[in-house]
Amino acid sequence: MAGYLLQRLVQAVIVVFAMSVIVFVGVYAIGNPIDVLIDPGATAEIRENLIRQYGLDQPLWRQYLVFLGNVAQGDMGTSMVYNIPVVDLVFSRLPATLELVLVSVCIATLIGIPAGLYAGYRPDSVGAKAIMALSVLGFSVPTFWIGMLLIMGFAVQLGWLPSGGRGDEGSILGLRTSLATADGWSHVIMPAINLSLFKMGLLIRLTRAGMVEAMSTDYVRFARAQGLPDRQIVFRHVLRNISIPIVTVFGLELGSTLAFAVVTESVFNWPGVGKLIIDSILQLDRPVMVSYLVLVVVLFVLINLTVDLVYARLDPRVRLRGEDA
Amino acid sequence: MSRNVLKSAVAALALMAAAPVTAQELVIGLRAGPDSIDPHWSTLGSQAEALRHVFDTLVDVDENLQLQPGLAVSWEPVDDTTWEFKLREGVTFHDGTPFTAEDAKFSIERIPEVTGPMSMTLYTKYVDSVEVVDDLTLRVKTKGIAPALPNDFTRLFVVPSETGMEAGNEAFNSGEKAIGTGPYRFVSWQPKGDLVLERNEDYWGDAPAWERVVRKEIADDAARVAALRSGQVDLINYVPASDYLAMQNDGEVETFVSDSVYILNIAPNVKDEEPQPITVNGEEVEGNPLQDKRVREALDLAINRDVLVNVVLEGLGTPANQLMPEGFFGYTDQIGEKTYDLEKAKELLAEAGYPDGFEIDFTCTNNRVPGDSVVCEALAQMWARLGLTVDAQALNGTVFFPAAAREEYTMSMSAWGTLTGEAAYTYGALTHTKDDEKGFGNFNRTGYSNAEFDEVFGEGTQTLDADARRTLYEEASYIAMEDRALIPTVILQTVWAADAGTLEFTPRVDQETRAYAITPVE
Repeated sequence: MAGYLLQRLVQAVIVVFAMSVIVFVGVYAIGNPIDVLIDPGATAEIRENLIRQYGLDQPLWRQYLVFLGNVAQGDMGTSMVYNIPVVDLVFSRLPATLELVLVSVCIATLIGIPAGLYAGYRPDSVGAKAIMALSVLGFSVPTFWIGMLLIMGFAVQLGWLPSGGRGDEGSILGLRTSLATADGWSHVIMPAINLSLFKMGLLIRLTRAGMVEAMSTDYVRFARAQGLPDRQIVFRHVLRNISIPIVTVFGLELGSTLAFAVVTESVFNWPGVGKLIIDSILQLDRPVMVSYLVLVVVLFVLINLTVDLVYARLDPRVRLRGEDA
Repeated sequence: MSRNVLKSAVAALALMAAAPVTAQELVIGLRAGPDSIDPHWSTLGSQAEALRHVFDTLVDVDENLQLQPGLAVSWEPVDDTTWEFKLREGVTFHDGTPFTAEDAKFSIERIPEVTGPMSMTLYTKYVDSVEVVDDLTLRVKTKGIAPALPNDFTRLFVVPSETGMEAGNEAFNSGEKAIGTGPYRFVSWQPKGDLVLERNEDYWGDAPAWERVVRKEIADDAARVAALRSGQVDLINYVPASDYLAMQNDGEVETFVSDSVYILNIAPNVKDEEPQPITVNGEEVEGNPLQDKRVREALDLAINRDVLVNVVLEGLGTPANQLMPEGFFGYTDQIGEKTYDLEKAKELLAEAGYPDGFEIDFTCTNNRVPGDSVVCEALAQMWARLGLTVDAQALNGTVFFPAAAREEYTMSMSAWGTLTGEAAYTYGALTHTKDDEKGFGNFNRTGYSNAEFDEVFGEGTQTLDADARRTLYEEASYIAMEDRALIPTVILQTVWAADAGTLEFTPRVDQETRAYAITPVE
């Protein structure tokens, strides 16, 4: 087990390095961040001074080495736009994104998996067909459009929910979160539903496909012959057997939602990290881009690791490489 | 106690009860907010706009960018290289300390120490040294003759000298050092989030109408409109053209429209070798056709500005005939309204030796300002009628600006705003020959160089007398525009929207939304 974890850790470090190199080269290829940021009225002298001050006159490899040196000392850099340490900037917005993703993933799972199970259990029923039709909508209709419809309906026309922003914060077990207040929930519910639709559609289809396949397998027939009630067959045996693809996709989706919930965040003016990274890219705020993408890589590696560990729990046949050693 | 006192007390209570509760708080939805609460960090427009509520500048500007007294009540040159500012009496900072010339001096000297990539040294570049004559008199020695110094000081925010040089961004963002003399006190701010302000009851100017102001940053256009429609905010800025049209037919929403300082200008590269080749039937032409003034004039004549304004921009624009809107310092009325004359344009092009046109690249910004990409496409079509084959591309600013700085475009278009309200800022940067020593031509990416223009303009920058300077700038504007050094197309307009009949608000040409200039409708 320890060997396995070590191996994954080494992989992660390599990916993080590769990522930071790509971002550095990419920004360097686009151009000088100062030219994007600088005021139109600035003189050439001011420009030269700034380029020197931010070390942008150095060759790329030296800029990169300086960056690595700083990271080694625990300094991820300071945003060129906000003049705030990147770590503070990202972590001041991360809770908002975590809340949004948590709620949306819960919605997607709690509705998507039961709906998928039902659709696979009774594939010819009217209900199953309706669920499948809706699931197609879920991942084919653009997120921003559904977001706008939700806002027009529930915020503008009916006035039940706020059109955007994050609600008042409260505290649960010492954590500051808007999920602790009613106002917070009224703000989070619409964007969370919006964000969950794609995942829900995906989960429904995956679950249904697995279910249909599993229901015709020998072990289900055998269980039926034994006289086990269907409920027990579905929840105890089938669900566990079809979980592996679901967990895989779930993990991937969780990661990409956390990192890039930007469309929903923009439409609902949700103060999360997605908007921060897009703005940083538009302004070539390199310290924020590099650090954020490195964080995303770490996040993905962690999620994949968790998914692998969950595989092993779900299916005793799965052996993690290095585990026997 | 007399009955009169009681009576007036009752009357006062009745008045208080009658005042609408909603008039106490104003919530504004803005496309962009500040990047920091440190007023010396960045020159960004949205930064200045927000921090103006907390900090005052030495010189203020009215809604047409003409100079007004701010913390300085008057200013005049005492000799060629010295400006004297008389400061306002009886002004106190939010913490109660009185405002003096020391604070102004400290603020000027603090800028180079703390400013970021959007460097504010731009506004202090002429300052050589600052001298405090007495509590209310400040003398600024300039490097050379600097007639535009008062214009530069319209962005000079004053912080107390007790702030100390070592106080950084964190101290301002947390509110600890966010102490100014402005109409509002700082309460809280989150990057990309809400800026919350509270009325300064001891403000030296007119008392602001709103007790509390929340400036919400809502970057997404559709989200901002939705926030207004759902009643989450009272006022929004930068209403997109499509929503503006819908709002015209909607009695519930009122719009406020104003010309902005931003003009979309075409920049034809006139160097000997154009960066992207101009071709005829795929063969690269000898020399650079854009060097021929007749070609540039033909490009200009082929632009139908009425169509750009009324069709392409849905009415949200004004035809432009020079780089600044009317009324700005140095605007010349010698250039009449631009006419659309395709026949004459074709003649000129034929005279220049291109009767069948040529193929040319045309690059623009995309979504940097409202309408830039659609104007870009429309121009390509207008020039197609002239016989040109135009390969138009609208690129994101992140890509466009660095490439423009490397002078990689043969013909490009981007917006320029005369943020100081006077000609030196615009013509000095855009059409003067590139001259790093004098600090001119930093944004001259076309290679345009006209000795006559440089001389007239240069003389203007060395003339302290305002009327004589104005005349010289007008002449310089005329020369550059007659030469088609740049070809202005349209002045962009800005739209604000509020619930109908709730607010009184005079739109500003610099697009700022100042809460203290907004009053509730009684």
